[in-house]
Amino acid sequence: MKKLSTTTRGLLREIKAEAAEIPVAERRNFLLRGLQLTAGSAFAMGAAKVMAEGSLPPNIPAWTKSLGRGVVSVPYGQPSRFEDDVIRRTVSWLTATTESSISMTPIHEMKGIITPSGLVFERYHAGLPDVDPDQHRLMIHGMVDNPITLTMDDLMRFPSESVIHFLECPANGGMEWHGTQMEALQFTHGMLSCCEWTGVKLSTILEEVGISPDAKWVLAEGADGATMTRSIPIEKALDDTLVVYAQNGEKLRPEQGYPVRLFNPGWEGNTSIKWLRRLEIGDKPWYQREETSKYTDLMPDGTARKFSFIQESNSVITSPCPERPMLRKGVHELEGIAWSGRGTVKRVDVSLDGGVSWRQAKLKGLVLPKAITRFSLEINWQGEPLLLQSRSIDETGYVQPTLTQLRDIRGSNSIYHKNSIHTWKLDTDGTVSNVQLG
Amino acid sequence: MFNWDNKIMIKVLLLISIFAFSQTVWSKDSGYYGYGQPATPEEIAGWDIDVRPDGKGLPIGSGTVSYGEELYEAKCASCHGAFGEGEGRWPKLAGGFDTLSDAKPEKTVGSYWPYASTLWDYIHRAMPFTQPQSLTADETYALTAYVLYLNEIIEDEDFELNQDNFTDIEMPNKDGFFVDPRPDVNNPACMNDCKDPAAIKVTSAIKGITPLEHIDKEKQSSEQKMPVIEEQSITDPSKVNEMKMGGSIYGKSCVICHGQGVTGAPIFGDKEAWAPRIKQGLELLNKHALEGYAGDAGVMPAKGGNPSLTDQEVNAAVLYMIENSQ
Repeated sequence: MKKLSTTTRGLLREIKAEAAEIPVAERRNFLLRGLQLTAGSAFAMGAAKVMAEGSLPPNIPAWTKSLGRGVVSVPYGQPSRFEDDVIRRTVSWLTATTESSISMTPIHEMKGIITPSGLVFERYHAGLPDVDPDQHRLMIHGMVDNPITLTMDDLMRFPSESVIHFLECPANGGMEWHGTQMEALQFTHGMLSCCEWTGVKLSTILEEVGISPDAKWVLAEGADGATMTRSIPIEKALDDTLVVYAQNGEKLRPEQGYPVRLFNPGWEGNTSIKWLRRLEIGDKPWYQREETSKYTDLMPDGTARKFSFIQESNSVITSPCPERPMLRKGVHELEGIAWSGRGTVKRVDVSLDGGVSWRQAKLKGLVLPKAITRFSLEINWQGEPLLLQSRSIDETGYVQPTLTQLRDIRGSNSIYHKNSIHTWKLDTDGTVSNVQLG
Repeated sequence: MFNWDNKIMIKVLLLISIFAFSQTVWSKDSGYYGYGQPATPEEIAGWDIDVRPDGKGLPIGSGTVSYGEELYEAKCASCHGAFGEGEGRWPKLAGGFDTLSDAKPEKTVGSYWPYASTLWDYIHRAMPFTQPQSLTADETYALTAYVLYLNEIIEDEDFELNQDNFTDIEMPNKDGFFVDPRPDVNNPACMNDCKDPAAIKVTSAIKGITPLEHIDKEKQSSEQKMPVIEEQSITDPSKVNEMKMGGSIYGKSCVICHGQGVTGAPIFGDKEAWAPRIKQGLELLNKHALEGYAGDAGVMPAKGGNPSLTDQEVNAAVLYMIENSQ
């Protein structure tokens, strides 16, 4: 027999599924009845159980005994209506306004390593601009032989490359330098996504314009209301920086910089300027607002780190997590994700006792440089309380640090680059909460 | 001495090295693809707005502290506060000196920013928040001078900032930054008996500040609800189009103060706060919105500080707020 959901959300979902079988005229009544029933949970459990079983073996569900929708009834496909809680979310008190704010990816619901384009976290500094690709231009100038402007058509004529890389805001987890604040994985680690990105290598464009031997920095600038800017060292620009126009097989989403963005693999997301309109080549950094006032890391002595570009290796257990408690005793696949801005994740260790002892997890699926990598470990849980942790090690030998190790050096005021080992407290009833260990 | 064989060998080596050099540094000559159009000096001048600490990029212009104060009060104070103290969660601009190593550091323009050029550049490219790139070079010099004055970096209120004296300004924290030294932590990746289990102290999350309604629907949301236009809530159906326009203007301009009650603005949807104002009549509310108003509770700048709005747009936004707050 199907185990019934114990959460209100699960119950509502089951009732919605049941309602789909009932003729439209009766559906409204049914839903009303269902909602009234959820008020008294004992009744609701019983009622939902009876209704749910109408579709279960040996019965035949309504969708098996009827015709479904035809092709192109939805020309651009959408997720199932039963997945309507898999959405980006924000924490409204973090920022003064939604136009200069951030939302988080529901990483507790993600499978594999690719984040669907519509769920990639958002970060705007002056809202989402509505850029007309025909009217958009990318200008490349400064210390170059031939300054040029490119239309989108021009840009897409250059030889293209596709790569799979994570994109992470350096403030991911940064709310918790002083202590735990967030009661859900989406908010502790959700400023993170991983996509296939397609575009032109910036080095190809720099060769085309011919840069001066004295060129040391590139200023990238967006076409949004903030005309967001960052200075990028020429070594990175000539290495793996891409000028990207497509994501997961289709054109970039507006939220991700449509029609064109910069993409700096493994570096803090803020450097990957969206709605890219201009690249200026120069001999010094520009010290723009986003590389002085913001995106610098304040140390305990009052000095600050600048140009802290790399997203160092990090990992987190995604199942269980506060959104996905352990509902039953028995064998569980403990699962999580790891990533490193320096390259490939080589190993992930898991601890069930708050870091007293560790065992190696299995890496599964695609293991790619600067991409989300999945790890897994089967455990047999019999209701004992656990302190769950994961620890990633990348190809350079870098080991994800503990929060205490980070704080010993950086204090608690640096906001950015908190990639410490994360702890979930699993209670005897299967609930999972966010804790820090001292 | 040289013989012909040696000379040929040297030439061959030279050729190889030239070839190898050109291959590694530039595998293709500039202009190889020939895509795009040459960027003209006029086109570049229109878009190249960045300013560097050495003054490169500063346009010709000037502005005084006192003109900056006038502009600041009209265009900046509603978010950044009359003295740069910052309203609500809007950025604090002034003060915070000698707090950077405190438990609660205040990172302001004066206490933290290493270069004044960043201030000029950022004001010019991105401020005011709702009207980026609307300020002239002179206005930007004046506002920069005033923000520096608020931080006591410029002390003379008659001071005029211009392209020639700009790089003389030294910011207090100019030597406060150094290049990222990471990796800075070494975790030995211990596997067994890594610590004493009895010594582990567990600190839990602060409750009630995470938006959790998707996990537990019974829990009250800590989120502010964003208003939606519901046509049945409109008392007069002939006003639907105006309401839609008003909603759009509200979302772009008014929400910045009326969303959270910045500078005493009545909060959208707060019936109690709006009732006495609505009683005064639409005509007066429109007049205050268009011309500006200073009351006991706070200040309403003319057109919400956004002169690019038409009167019709402002009136529509007023209607929209009233309809959703009664």
